[in-house]
Amino acid sequence: MDTPLRIDPAEALAEINRFQRKLAAGLQNLPGMAEPEYANTPRELVYAEDKLKVWHFTGTRPTARTPVLIVYALVNTVWMTDLQADRSLVRNLLEQGEDVYLIDWGYPDGADRWLTLDDYLNGYLDRCVDAVRHRHGLDAINLLGICQGGAFSLCYTAMHPDKVKNLVTMVTPVDFHTPDNMLSHWVQQLDVDRFVDVMGNIPAALMNWVYLTLKPLRLNQQKYIGLVEILDNPAELENFLRMERWIFDSPDQAGEAFRQFIKDFYQGNKLVRHDLSIGGRPVDLGLIQQPVLNIYAQQDHLVPPDASRALGKHIGTQDYTEIAFKGGHIGIYVSGRAQREVPPAIHRWLRARD
Amino acid sequence: MADQASEFVRQSQAMAEQSWSQWMRYLQQAAGQPTSPMTGFGMPGMAGWAGMPGMSAPAAPMSDMLERSLAGISSYLEWMQRAATAQAAPVAPSTDWQAAMKDMFGAAGQPFAQAFEGIDSTAAQGFVQQWQAWLAAAGQAGATDWRTPSYMPGFGLHREQQSKQQALVAAMMESAEQQRRYQALILKANAAGLERLQDRLADHIEPGRQLESLKSLYDLWVDAAEEAYAEIALSDEFREVYGAMVNAQMCERQLVQAHLEDLCRQLGLPTRSEIDSLGRRLQEVRRELRAIEGGAVNGELAELRAELQALRKAQPVAAQTHSGGTPAARAGSGKLKEKTKVGARATPEAAPKKRAAPKRASAKSATKAASAEKARSGKAAAKPSTASPVAAKDSRKKRTASRVRRAAAVKSGAGSRRTLVSPGIPAPHRARRK
Repeated sequence: MDTPLRIDPAEALAEINRFQRKLAAGLQNLPGMAEPEYANTPRELVYAEDKLKVWHFTGTRPTARTPVLIVYALVNTVWMTDLQADRSLVRNLLEQGEDVYLIDWGYPDGADRWLTLDDYLNGYLDRCVDAVRHRHGLDAINLLGICQGGAFSLCYTAMHPDKVKNLVTMVTPVDFHTPDNMLSHWVQQLDVDRFVDVMGNIPAALMNWVYLTLKPLRLNQQKYIGLVEILDNPAELENFLRMERWIFDSPDQAGEAFRQFIKDFYQGNKLVRHDLSIGGRPVDLGLIQQPVLNIYAQQDHLVPPDASRALGKHIGTQDYTEIAFKGGHIGIYVSGRAQREVPPAIHRWLRARD
Repeated sequence: MADQASEFVRQSQAMAEQSWSQWMRYLQQAAGQPTSPMTGFGMPGMAGWAGMPGMSAPAAPMSDMLERSLAGISSYLEWMQRAATAQAAPVAPSTDWQAAMKDMFGAAGQPFAQAFEGIDSTAAQGFVQQWQAWLAAAGQAGATDWRTPSYMPGFGLHREQQSKQQALVAAMMESAEQQRRYQALILKANAAGLERLQDRLADHIEPGRQLESLKSLYDLWVDAAEEAYAEIALSDEFREVYGAMVNAQMCERQLVQAHLEDLCRQLGLPTRSEIDSLGRRLQEVRRELRAIEGGAVNGELAELRAELQALRKAQPVAAQTHSGGTPAARAGSGKLKEKTKVGARATPEAAPKKRAAPKRASAKSATKAASAEKARSGKAAAKPSTASPVAAKDSRKKRTASRVRRAAAVKSGAGSRRTLVSPGIPAPHRARRK
C-alpha cells in the first residue's frame, strides 16, 4: 500500500539528533546576550505631555515642505516603525526626503485609566498636531496613521479637517465586521462594560495572549522551532530577539478608551455606519476631502484586506489611492520587500501633493 | 525487526532525556539558578504556556521561566520522538498510514494541545483558581462542598455576607462550565486538524511527493491544524462560547474583587474602587481645566472676533445713523464704533504680526485713555445725553478693552497678552518655548 510518508527510521533519529545538537549549541549563545536595541534613528523631543512624546527625526535635510506625523496604535509600541537600521520605515522616509515626526503614546498606568477616545484624539493628538503645525508655521500637516492609529487619524481628520493636508493610512481597519475578522468575531458577545469595570486598564500581556491565539500553533510553537535553526547565527538571532522584544514589550490599554473602541468600532462598526461621535463631535468619513493614500497588506491576519479596503467606499475625497502590499501586518514594516516598496510609494504620493 | 524498533525507541528516549536535562542544567547554571530535577519529556511541572507572565501568577524563578519559554520546543521534541517511534514500529506505516498518523498526533501530550493549554487562563483564571482552591480546601475541611451548592436564604445580620458568598460560588461554577465548553471546542479543532492533515497527506502518496522528514510532516500538520482552528474560531458557536467564557470569568473576578474590598475596608485599607473614583474625578477636573484654557475662552474670543468683524463692516452705516438718527439709534451706533476700534488694537486679527513694542504702546494708549476717562467719568455719568462723543467713545473703549483683557487673562492663566498673539499653541508647548 502506498503511503505519503517515506521517513526512514534511522534518518528520523538522525533528524532528532541534528535538532538537539543545534539546540544545545545554539542555547549557549543566549545567556548574557544584551537586549537588542531598536534602530534609534537620531531624533529630538519636540513635545511632551503626560506620558506621550512627540519625536522629530533629525540628521537629514528634508526636501518635503510639509512634515508628516506618524500616529501609531495604542497597542504595541511605535518603534515597529524604526525597528532596526535596515528595517526602518522612518529611516527610509527620511532618506526619501520626508520630514518625519512620530507620537510615542507611552505606557499608560492607573492614572490613565479614565482617558477616553476624546482625550486621546481631541486632546493629545490635537495638541501634537498643533505642536508640529506651529513648529513649521503651517495650517495643516500630513498624517500617517498605522493600524488603530489609522482609524484615529481618519477620525481626527474628520473632526479637524483644517489641520490635515494629506492622510496616509496603513493596515487600517475601517469596516470592523468583515467575515474574516477573527478579533472582531470574538468580541461581539463580550460584555465590554463589565470587562473594563473589572480589569481597569487592559494588561498588555492579555492583549498579547489574544493576538497569539489568533494563530496559536504558528505563534506559540512553530516560530520557536524555527528559532532553533538560527540560534547559531548571531545576526539573525538578534533580529529575532528584537522582534520578540517589540511584540511583548507593549503598553497596557487605558480602560475607558478601550471600552469605547471595542463598543463603537468593533461591536458597533460605527465608522462605516456614519454613526460615530467622539467627545460629542460627529465623525463622518464622507466629509473627509483631503487626499487619502490607503495601504493594506494582502496577508494581514489582524486587519483583513477587506476591512481596510472599505475606506474607498466611505471616504468623501475624490483623491483616493489604494496600494496592496504583498505581505502581512508586520511584514509591511520589516520585510525586505517593504523597505523597497512602501516608503518610496508614500513619498511619491506625498510629493505629488506637497 | 521488533528488537530493532525497541532498541531505536530506547536510544532515542535516552538521548532526548539526557540532552534536555543537560540543556536545562546549563541554562540554569548560566543564570545562577540551582538545578531542578526534570522528569524527561513528560515534564509534569511544565504547564505549557499557562500562567500568563505578569498576570496573577506569582513571579516564577528563573528555572521555571526557562522551562516555560522552552515548552514549545520540548513538546516538539517529544512529538518527533513519538513520530519516529511510530515509523520504526514493525506494523506501521505501510499497512495503514492513517492509523500511524493517529499514533503520531495522538491526543495525549501532542503539541497542539500543549500550545492551547492555558488559552483560557488569561486575566481571571490564575487569580480565580486560587479562590477555587481555597474553597475546595474549605470544603474538605468540613464546610459545604462549593461545587454543589444549593441556594439557602439568609437571615439577620449575616444575610448579606451569605448572599455574596453564594453568588461567588455560583459564579465560579458558571465560569468552570463555560471553560469546559470552550475546551470542548478546542478539542474539536484539534480533531478537525488531524482530519485535515490526513486529507492533505493523501495528496502526497504518489512517489516524488512523499514526505521524507519529520519537520516536513510537522509543518504540514501546523498548516492543517491552523486552518481547522480558524474555521472553528470563526464559527457562531465559538463566538458565543468565547464571549460567555470571558463574561463568566469577569463576573467571577468581579465578585472576588468585591469580597476583597469588603475585607480591605474592615482593615482600613484603601480599595481599588476608591482609587478609581479619585482617578475619575481627577480626569474630569483635567478636562474642565483644558476646556477653560482652550475651548471656552477661545470660543468667547472667536465670538468677539466675529462680532468685531461684523461691526467693522457695519461702521460706515452706523456713523451715518449716529449723526442723524434718534438718541437710541445714536447710542447703538456708538457702541458699534467703539468695539471696532478697540478690537482693532487688542485682537490678534487686527494686528496679527505686531511685535511686543507696538503692543506695549497700544496697551499704554489704552491705559492713558482709561485715565482720561476716569477723570471725566463724573461728567459723563451726570450728563450722558450731552457728553462729548470722544468721552463716550473712550468709556466704551475702556469697557471693551477690559473685557478682552479679562478673557486673555483667563486663557493664559497669568494675564499675559502674548497668548493672544498665538492663541492656538497648546499650553505645555508654550511653556517650553518660554
